Amino acid sequence: MRRPRGCRRIGLHAGNDALGSLTLENIRKSFGKVDVLKGIDLDVKDGEFVTFVGPSGCGKSTLLRVIAGLEDASGGSVRIDGEEVGSVPPAKRGIAMVFQSYALYPHLTVRDNMGLGLKQAGEPKKIIEERVRVATSMLSLGDYLDRRPAELSGGQRQRVAIGRAIVRKPKLFLFDEPLSNLDAALRVNTRLEIARLHRELTATMIYVTHDQVEAMTLADRIVVLNKGVVEQVGLPMELYNRPANLFVAGFIGSPQMNFIEGSRLGESAATIGIRPEHVSIGKESGTWKGKVLHAEHLGADTILYLDTEKAGFVTARLFGEHRFAADDVLYATPDPARIYRFGQDGRVLS
Amino acid sequence: MAVARRQTRWHIAVFLAPALIVYTAIMILPLFGTLQLSLFRNIDQKQVFVGLDNFRALLTDPHWSTAFWNAFRNNVWFFCIHMLVQNPIGILLAALLSSPKLRFRAFYRTAIFVPTILSFVIVGFVWKLILSPLWGITPMLLKEIGLRGLFHPWLGMGDTALTTVALVSVWQFVGIPMMLIYAALLSIPDEVLEAAECDGITGMAQFWKIKLPLILPSIGIISILTFVGNFNAFDLIYVSQGALGGPNFSTDILGTFLYRTFFGFQLQLGDPNMGSAIASMMFFIILVGVCFYLFAIQTRLRRYQF
Amino acid sequence: MNKARTSIPRAAAAHAVLIVYTIIALFPVLIVVVNSFKSRGAIFRAPLSLPGPKTFDLIGYTTVMAQGNFPLYFWNSLVVTVVSIFLVLLFGAMAAFALAEYRFRANTMTGLYLALGIMIPIRLGTVAILRLMVASGLVDTLTALILVYTAQGIPLAVFILSEFMKQVSDDLKNAGRIDGLSEYRIFFRLVLPLVRPAMATVAVFTMIPIWNDLWFPLILAPSEATKTVTLGAQLFLGQFVTDWNAVLAALSLAILPVLVLYLIFSRQLIRGITSGAVK
Repeated sequence: MRRPRGCRRIGLHAGNDALGSLTLENIRKSFGKVDVLKGIDLDVKDGEFVTFVGPSGCGKSTLLRVIAGLEDASGGSVRIDGEEVGSVPPAKRGIAMVFQSYALYPHLTVRDNMGLGLKQAGEPKKIIEERVRVATSMLSLGDYLDRRPAELSGGQRQRVAIGRAIVRKPKLFLFDEPLSNLDAALRVNTRLEIARLHRELTATMIYVTHDQVEAMTLADRIVVLNKGVVEQVGLPMELYNRPANLFVAGFIGSPQMNFIEGSRLGESAATIGIRPEHVSIGKESGTWKGKVLHAEHLGADTILYLDTEKAGFVTARLFGEHRFAADDVLYATPDPARIYRFGQDGRVLS
Repeated sequence: MAVARRQTRWHIAVFLAPALIVYTAIMILPLFGTLQLSLFRNIDQKQVFVGLDNFRALLTDPHWSTAFWNAFRNNVWFFCIHMLVQNPIGILLAALLSSPKLRFRAFYRTAIFVPTILSFVIVGFVWKLILSPLWGITPMLLKEIGLRGLFHPWLGMGDTALTTVALVSVWQFVGIPMMLIYAALLSIPDEVLEAAECDGITGMAQFWKIKLPLILPSIGIISILTFVGNFNAFDLIYVSQGALGGPNFSTDILGTFLYRTFFGFQLQLGDPNMGSAIASMMFFIILVGVCFYLFAIQTRLRRYQF
Repeated sequence: MNKARTSIPRAAAAHAVLIVYTIIALFPVLIVVVNSFKSRGAIFRAPLSLPGPKTFDLIGYTTVMAQGNFPLYFWNSLVVTVVSIFLVLLFGAMAAFALAEYRFRANTMTGLYLALGIMIPIRLGTVAILRLMVASGLVDTLTALILVYTAQGIPLAVFILSEFMKQVSDDLKNAGRIDGLSEYRIFFRLVLPLVRPAMATVAVFTMIPIWNDLWFPLILAPSEATKTVTLGAQLFLGQFVTDWNAVLAALSLAILPVLVLYLIFSRQLIRGITSGAVK
């Protein structure tokens, strides 16, 4: 599963096998009568970058917290590096977590925020200083060592939170929607930074997000969760090209895949799916005749919302600029090689 | 809007007037009236301006100063007991109450706060009865744990009465620091504490290294509230020990001293001017305390936005 | 329970400490209430046992009912407390609205001026307050008490309420202005209903010290007709100090209404304190 990565290993982990595998077996979690996780199985290899993605409330954060030990599973087992950690406290699991709200200690400086965990573990001062130095230089935080979190910008705070995770040299990095409190530009930068860190540290990372772009761009493998079950696990392009079911097909890709009732098109499948980017548009002829309801001109893309006679409501994504406007009558043609067929149960038909 | 801004906005005055009038007339003016009265003395049925002479008498004339310094010393001790007993217990209870997933939290919280809502009259009498050697509840309980010999009529003995009353007051008010600290602890975001868990900072270490620094501002506020409340105390001592702060003035504090001086007791007539002087002294003591807090303490305590 | 994060011994220790303190907090109250239902002999012989068929006696309560003017005292306390709370809330909310809503030159100064009253106790002005009440003929009236308690309650009310009023959306008020509502209507119709929870908190905070106050009733309104229940209880207890049944019954009667009110409003009170309104 692990994709070959032509990356060099850099300082921090040289000669240190801090890499960790993770195995989840039938993880269940219920809060009272509500089952949040309904039996999750997953294998994460050494050095892999795995993202958990899904709509809010799908259980992805809970799953991360179970792995961290902040939450007990109601059933199942968590193994890190082959070792069962069900009753091991978070600090002894060899994990480090980066929280959505950064969760920095507001009364401590950047230096102390990073060093506190090591200090508590009784590491010698010299080692703490050295590790903080390495981490801050990786994250270019050197100038801010003596500032308190309140004196830092959101992006800087997030980097401190990441630094605090790095100095612990964890087997497993856990990220809980770390970018959702940042503005759009910073989000892209920090995303690149996390990708770079993963290459440099070659550490195992688990990353929770509801943003499919983050998931697609960062991950070696993506785990799509919905209502407490794993819908599909796979490489980003696998999920895009070969979604296992309606949910994954609808969740991955933007704008969302068009779903058309099979009976309307005389197909035996219950639902027919076609991605907007696989619908071509003609002025004179095509498969489905329809009227433009609305056109969005984004420069690089033009997105058309069509009301077609045969297939109903269809979205089409055209590359580049096109001079279409509402009420134009056009023909939409799906790429036959890119049509997905789903059965009654929502599963894809092969 | 620009035009409206230039008009006289009478509604602001209407909104502010009732509160400001009542507050100024009943609180601020009498406060200054009291300060002013303290500068006069009744000589031959006439109010005569005597400058700071009342204060000189209060602080140095043995007729007044013995009682004043006694009350002041007692008041300081009263305050110390609160700081040393009430606030640490309050913090301890709050820390326990805020521990995650504690059961019966609401019950404990409600029960421990009960004494705080009772009036001084009830509290004073209840404890007077319980500690009374006549009733014998306390000796009986001490006997159960084998400490019968320890019992003394604490409220009736000069060297233990003040501490005992102070502890009764602590019993009554421990709910306030507990609640304020509890609120401060709740306002620490869960994620910060979870980050600490991941860093291996748990249990006591978490309290000392993470929680305590974050609740220091609340501890500061509790200290100043305790200070103001203690140097203004009267009711509990009046109810349990009488206006004389018995036995033998051992529980006399500034509040009871003020009451006695102002209204008179037994054969001594009331003296509004000396009463005012005592009230003014209390005012200055509280003012010094509050200023010390505002300028020396509060500015040094960081408040954290989470 | 979270195995990985909490240990059972630690939870048990926490419960042990809290239970011990709960007993300390409740025991004195319980012992008084329990013994108030017992005969005199039983009070002294077995103060720790519950009243049984042989020891059950309501003599204390009959004495209190026969002797005291307690219904009147209760009524006085009720009038003073209710009217004071009403005025504190009305005046306090109005002033809080002015300070929270409008920008005007004396805004900060007015706020600080009112804040002074949170720290400096009104008792220190007692000498001059008594003179004022004597001069205006208000001594031994409930009005005197109401005025004092209103003045005492306003500073904290303004402070808490203005914090809450700052959170009321500007858009809502501006929508009201565009609809042609006067500033008074905006206050009474839009803002007041939205800060009702905060008003309830302030009401509870204001109520406890007024109901329990001994100082001002003692000084400003000690006459039989204007005694509050706190003062009445104090005098009664002083007179009947040797009649243990009567004393215990009077204490129980004084505790129960407050306790019942507290149990009803404790959520409000605790939410008020823990919402950070008082800081």
